Amino acid sequence: MALQEPVLTQRIPTPPFGDPADRKLIRHEQYVASGGYAALRKAMEHEPKEIIETVKISELRGRGGAGFPAGLKWSFLPPQDGEPRYLAINADESEPGTFKDRLLIDFDPHLLLEGIAICMHACQLDTAYIYIRGEYHHQAKVLEQAIAEAYDNKIFGPGTIMGKVNDRDPRCFVHRGAGAYICGEETGLLESLEGKRGWPRIKPPFPAVAGAFGRPTIINNVETLAAVVPIIMRGPDWFKSMGVKRPEGAPPTAPASYGPKLYGVSGHVNRPGVYEEELGIRLGDLIENYCGGMLNGKKFKAAVPGGISMGVLGTDQYDAVLDFEVGRKYACLGLGTAGVIVMDEDTDMVAMARNIARFFSHESCGQCTPCREGSGWIYKTLCRIEQGDGTTRDLDMLLELAGSMGAMPGTTICGLADGTNWAVRTILNKFWDEFESRVAKSSSVALPVLTH
Amino acid sequence: MAWIVKNSAEMTIERREEPYLDDQMKKELEAEVLPRFPTRQAATLPVLHAIQEKHNWLPYQALEETADFLGLKPSDVLDTATFYEEFFLQPKGRYLIQVCQSISCELRNHDALLEGISRKLGIQPGQTTTDGKFTLMTVECLGSCGTAPCALVQGRLHEDVRFEDFEKALDSLPHEDGRPDTPASERA
Repeated sequence: MALQEPVLTQRIPTPPFGDPADRKLIRHEQYVASGGYAALRKAMEHEPKEIIETVKISELRGRGGAGFPAGLKWSFLPPQDGEPRYLAINADESEPGTFKDRLLIDFDPHLLLEGIAICMHACQLDTAYIYIRGEYHHQAKVLEQAIAEAYDNKIFGPGTIMGKVNDRDPRCFVHRGAGAYICGEETGLLESLEGKRGWPRIKPPFPAVAGAFGRPTIINNVETLAAVVPIIMRGPDWFKSMGVKRPEGAPPTAPASYGPKLYGVSGHVNRPGVYEEELGIRLGDLIENYCGGMLNGKKFKAAVPGGISMGVLGTDQYDAVLDFEVGRKYACLGLGTAGVIVMDEDTDMVAMARNIARFFSHESCGQCTPCREGSGWIYKTLCRIEQGDGTTRDLDMLLELAGSMGAMPGTTICGLADGTNWAVRTILNKFWDEFESRVAKSSSVALPVLTH
Repeated sequence: MAWIVKNSAEMTIERREEPYLDDQMKKELEAEVLPRFPTRQAATLPVLHAIQEKHNWLPYQALEETADFLGLKPSDVLDTATFYEEFFLQPKGRYLIQVCQSISCELRNHDALLEGISRKLGIQPGQTTTDGKFTLMTVECLGSCGTAPCALVQGRLHEDVRFEDFEKALDSLPHEDGRPDTPASERA
């Protein structure tokens, strides 16, 4: 199984179909010349409901981390009532290991804009905000320029090829964040869009019912919307010819993993970068066939399957199949954003855990106590273990602390703490010996009262 | 982050005659940014970005002016401004150096880069050089994991950097005031 032709990277030379050195920004003119905006014109020939149905049949799952079926999300919108409805595009790509949306925005911004326009037509949304992280200075400029071209060429604005959407002229804007990971959480993003601190909201109500400015809002990841374009152009059957099918005998409601996916590989490999493959590539194939093998010929030790909040794959999971089932099969949280971080045999897993804990401690928004306090204590405890002052009891405490925080244990509002939870627990469980040997050498006396 | 609070009751606000958010900026924002949103509060981030871009940081007086402009309470703007890491409520150096310290960069030896910069400039992360030219910061993931280690210098991304190259890039920045004249599109 291998991708026959580039789909999302059609205009972005990517191995094995092209040389990254040939990458350049695709302007509107070149985009149209290579078949761009044909999917939008095709979509305009269909009723909005038919477009939603097509995306539903394609079983496109959200590429932003949670893997929620996009068509289903779109169908949650209430009927139109004459008031504004919004689309928020999540380009707040801040999860360590994730840099795939940046590739799309850097070189082929019109693919995203076409996806946005199709979604606006399908869901009858009149205003789109691309929420891009503050650190993406260059990318924000690229998008501003592409949007200006799109307005000039009647994709957005008055008298467009989309006509009136929700009885209004369709509009699209870039909205820059200012350095907060939590704004990638969809309701945190909406709060930030409204000019407030990015504190996630309690759900329900879900954004499809009451989102930005209290109005129905769809929030999609950049890659998800980019994937809508080829689905409209070539149909759901073609899309479903790629990826991993539902297991035999599974109910039709069980989600499968269809379509192409951008895998961003970083860490100890010879050629890190973003590669496009069908969902369900074996981790070993990704490293060997695309990334030129492990750096300096070292042995594989661990990998993060998709952004650090998903936890890690152990040394014996080199053959893990990277699809949406990865979490269930290999004891981690899931595929996430498919930002794969590879670590070689010399990697200090205690240091990795400390780095990850610092990230979550730093990025906790402070709203829920278990996450705010727990992540800080996990970080401090891991620092102590790394410095050689940890105790065996610390390891149990780390597991207990991590296991008690998150939306799944039900102690926090959003899923940020689940990331801390899974990252810390999977590293500890899969590399227990390493942690144990570190604390065994410790000279500190275990006095529980003085633990901190 | 937002929950690191400081005593603001005894805070004195330094004021100056000339507004930070001047009439020209207000006019432009009113025409360009405010029509995008159904509420004025939603323009908080764009307005703060605009002020910071012009003045390099956000004095409290500027936050008050923003509140006044957007019809909010100053505390609402302070609440938002303190939450985001990229808004500087204290003066920073002419050039902001943000070195990524997340996992992919740690795997690719960001330590050497950070230590090198720290030694060269004689400051620790979080500090500004005495001549006010550089502020050094460590930040979480900059979304450049495939080309780690990486750092942003005043918004311009340097990828796959070795300290030697980075040092040259820093040396080439002009001392005097004025924009670095290096558009973000030209990457290192």
